[in-house]
Amino acid sequence: MRLQIDERRCKGCNLCTLVCPYRIFKPGKRANRRGIVVPELDRPERCANCRLRHLYGRTLCGNCQMICPDQAISWKEDEEPVPKKVAIEY
Amino acid sequence: MSEEDWLRQDRLPHIFCAGCGNGTVINCTLSAVEQIGWKRQETVFVSGIGCSSRAPGYISTDSLHTTHGRALAFATGIKLANPQLNIVVFTGDGDLAAIGGNHFIHACRRNIDLTVVCLNNMIYGMTGGQGSPTTPMGGLSTTTPYGSGEPAFDLCGLATAAGANYVARWTSYHVRELTRAILTGLENPGFSFIESLVQCPTNYGRRNRFKQVADQIEYFKSHTILVEKAARMREKGEMIPPEMILAGEFVRRNRPALGVRP
Repeated sequence: MRLQIDERRCKGCNLCTLVCPYRIFKPGKRANRRGIVVPELDRPERCANCRLRHLYGRTLCGNCQMICPDQAISWKEDEEPVPKKVAIEY
Repeated sequence: MSEEDWLRQDRLPHIFCAGCGNGTVINCTLSAVEQIGWKRQETVFVSGIGCSSRAPGYISTDSLHTTHGRALAFATGIKLANPQLNIVVFTGDGDLAAIGGNHFIHACRRNIDLTVVCLNNMIYGMTGGQGSPTTPMGGLSTTTPYGSGEPAFDLCGLATAAGANYVARWTSYHVRELTRAILTGLENPGFSFIESLVQCPTNYGRRNRFKQVADQIEYFKSHTILVEKAARMREKGEMIPPEMILAGEFVRRNRPALGVRP
């Protein structure tokens, strides 16, 4: 699983930086096209929900998603790596 | 299904200000509705007028956006017309305590099978920050520029006295506890009242020394005291500081309810 912030919904209130136990969310530095400073993710692979959700079969921490007033935080499944076909010419 | 399916994707992002706690309470309510497993066709969200009452507009069930303060009256009508429906009422403090005060106490007295989520932002947010009945003592607003001189309304005490079956109070910081309280309220037959204090950075926070959104959340975090702890302190004869917010489950009982499915 991969943590992601939906830039179209986020309004930059930085509440996620307050609640994350791993401090993955950092206040952003640059405004995006809409003039909103979206928080940055600091090594999001540390997120407990990313690592262990499939093992436990339920959302584990999820505090950032619950407190986000703009429903901008979600987890996305990793894409299955597509094996590359290599044509071997003899 | 997930909570995302309950949201109207084409209406998002919503019009609440950056950092408004209403979105958090929507998340908690949808999570609770999702956990209890209600169908979208059998659920109705009702609201009155105000910031909080825009919430059902972002939820993809049938909803009713009614006149100011009369959300509970409309919800009573829906429940009695079709007791099969599950009804959740979103309402604000000005909606419920000021203009709909009488509807509120009589809905509690009738103990009709509704779940009421009150998003208490301690101010009239939408109309420009006028003082509401729940503005705390000393709170600044556009109509109380020298600080509110009146004591605030204790909505949970009112609901308990009027006879609601389940009464709880949490804040928008306590997302897990709030979700659990709403879930208990949904499961409980009879009138369930869940008050949630939410931050209003635009109209309350900036006039009351909460310049950042996080400041008011930190305030909720540090100034909440559990009901059980408050009771223990009272037994010992200790004083509870007046600025503390009592949080937790106030009452859960089984008075006969109106409109419960046979």
